[in-house]
Amino acid sequence: MRGLRKYLTPFAPDQSGAVSVLYELGGIVVVCDAGGCTGNICGFDEPRWHTTRSAVFSAGLRDMDAILGRDDKLVAELADAAHKIDANFAAVVGTPVPSVIGTDYRALRRMAERVCELPIITVDTTGMELYDVGASKAYVELFDRFATETHPKERGCVLHLGANPLDLSRIPSPEVSLSFDNIVGASAAERTVVMAPSGLSAAKLLQRRFGIPYAFATPCDLRMGPMLKALPSVENKRVLVVDQQVAAAVLREELLARGASQIVCATWFMQVDELTQEGDARLREEDDFEELVYGGEFDVLVGDPTLWRIVSRFAGITVDVPQFPVSGKLVAAEAGMEAATEGCRP
Amino acid sequence: MAHTARFFTAEEVARRGMDNLPDELVSNRHLIYSSPATLAFNSPGAEGFGVKRAGLAIPGSVMLLVAPGCCGRNTSLVSDMPAYKDRFFYLNMAETDIVTGRHLKKIPAAVEEVVDCLPTRPSLVMICITCVDALLGTDMERVCRRAEERVGLPVRPCYMYALTREGRRPPMVHVRQSLYSLLEPRRKRATSVNVLGFFAPLVDDCELYDYLSGIGVKAIREVSRCADFDEFQRMAEANFNLVLHPEARFAAADLQERLGIPSIELTRLYQIDRVRRQYQALGQVLGSTFDDAEDYDAALAAVDALRAAAPHASFAVGECLNADTFELALALTRYGFEVREVFGTVQAQNFVFLRRLAELSPTTRVYSNMEPTMLYYDAASCPVDFALGKDAGWYHDDATCLAWNEDVQPYGYAGVRRLFEALLGSIGGGDEA
Repeated sequence: MRGLRKYLTPFAPDQSGAVSVLYELGGIVVVCDAGGCTGNICGFDEPRWHTTRSAVFSAGLRDMDAILGRDDKLVAELADAAHKIDANFAAVVGTPVPSVIGTDYRALRRMAERVCELPIITVDTTGMELYDVGASKAYVELFDRFATETHPKERGCVLHLGANPLDLSRIPSPEVSLSFDNIVGASAAERTVVMAPSGLSAAKLLQRRFGIPYAFATPCDLRMGPMLKALPSVENKRVLVVDQQVAAAVLREELLARGASQIVCATWFMQVDELTQEGDARLREEDDFEELVYGGEFDVLVGDPTLWRIVSRFAGITVDVPQFPVSGKLVAAEAGMEAATEGCRP
Repeated sequence: MAHTARFFTAEEVARRGMDNLPDELVSNRHLIYSSPATLAFNSPGAEGFGVKRAGLAIPGSVMLLVAPGCCGRNTSLVSDMPAYKDRFFYLNMAETDIVTGRHLKKIPAAVEEVVDCLPTRPSLVMICITCVDALLGTDMERVCRRAEERVGLPVRPCYMYALTREGRRPPMVHVRQSLYSLLEPRRKRATSVNVLGFFAPLVDDCELYDYLSGIGVKAIREVSRCADFDEFQRMAEANFNLVLHPEARFAAADLQERLGIPSIELTRLYQIDRVRRQYQALGQVLGSTFDDAEDYDAALAAVDALRAAAPHASFAVGECLNADTFELALALTRYGFEVREVFGTVQAQNFVFLRRLAELSPTTRVYSNMEPTMLYYDAASCPVDFALGKDAGWYHDDATCLAWNEDVQPYGYAGVRRLFEALLGSIGGGDEA
């Protein structure tokens, strides 16, 4: 049945993706919810939350706030927080409640900017899309709003997009993390590295606005290093890789170089044309995955270990690569992480 | 801009009164700061017994969460626990479902598919719905009846409506009503009593069990100690219900109306003299007296032992723990300890404790975990020896921290004794060292 999950818990939603992008930028982040969404985002989808304080707030909506559409109350509370907390900007992140009551985010932004003395962005997430949709919206909002001035190019300046814990399944290193200054000064970048499909729309925006070229890359050797070291021979084997599409594409090249006969890349998340090859699959339901595996005559499956319960009759080799937005499990931490290498070009 | 967390002294709060609390201490007058200390508030399903775990309190039950994907995201925290493995299922809603309401038509078939995929037939299917359906005004009772007809099993709704958290019937009240609504009428037994309020049992050595046995009660039932659905059903034969948590009040009222089971409400307290007074009152209602001297002395001895080991101990008391924050702070103060900070939510029911605390310890700082300036909280501004509660422990990682938030519930003299034994143990004294 469409939408029914018997084995997997729901994946990281769009609002978590948006907060993941915004988390360390020094802004006030207001999740427009009753409380539960913020708890899910921070307590589960944001691994930095336990170690790094960030100005993430819940709007603490109550039934009458939603029924009466009390945007003015939210704006007053945001203004109060803005007076008490140092911030570069404030972001309002949507959830199912404002989605249902049809919150007018543009009006909300205008109202808030009038009283907050801070630039405000809004991200119209709904809690019903997946994390990469929300992350993509947040990247676009940020660059669209703050990357407006043209600066001289800086030699060696590279922007990494799609480098957040949900995309990378690990906490990103400072080398690939974005700061608010990086965003404001984005036009100085020589190029953009898209480490996950969530970064693509913003990369295209920067290309259009400032002529900055982009390429896809993700640090395959580091993210999947332990798995690759332990990987049995894939020579002449048919392999299914399930991951976010940039990571899967990079792994495809690595496995083909090791002699695999065919690689199929599947993803539960965004599928961009530039990385899609014939036979690749976009998964939506548990049944899709079951059909793909049982109908695909694969020798090896690479993906998050929680997926294997769906295909318990699969007799080949399974290789575990945790995918944080799927299972909420991070890749085991390793010391440091270098900037991405351009392992895969469109 | 002052980078300090805003607090008020107990004396200031008491002087202002319940009707004139500062905005910082009233959660619906500011944004809710999200820190690990507020996780229990922000995510009722993530810590302790939220709606999700509570909804599965009936042995052999399973849950279908019908909601946008975001609502079920953190459920793997619970479903990874052995007791909840293979008991959570999800029907993810899309935007079209919200517009058309078509997800409601799918629920009976989804329930059937879940029941069919399980190796053993569940005793009950709970349908958990969230804020979206609260706004849509979904009649889930009706949907559940249709699902019941389809699978021939009890199907009940439970409402994880964070939007109504501060309403008259918040989710944790409603989930208790939903669970106990399953009880069918039975012949009463004068020797049966139910303990309502918690989803985990009281500590095994709680004196309440002995006191009830001493007056002839043969069966003391708690939902968490029921081995199966049949035993749960035997809760319907109780002579009376003991309500130990106010969130069970409505469920108890339902049982009185529907099954004729009256109830008596008790409070968890850490002031020994108040515990004694409450037992005396209970004895009067039941037409008996309890010999509590031994339990009273044991609890007092535990308090004395900590007092001897750490006579000048200072405390920060949080709200993520098995106690009323202000009552516990008051108890500690009355025992002669210094309570420097309280992280709590001031409410009508605990204001009486706060007022008394203000008399004895006027400079105690009162913080709200949820207030925005808690972003800047600095433990160095008010060091303490002990941090009580998971939240206080998060702030004071240099202090001796006792989370005191286990599922199994401390209660009565046993609760007092165990708390002080644990505190003593945490500094290397007593048997628990």
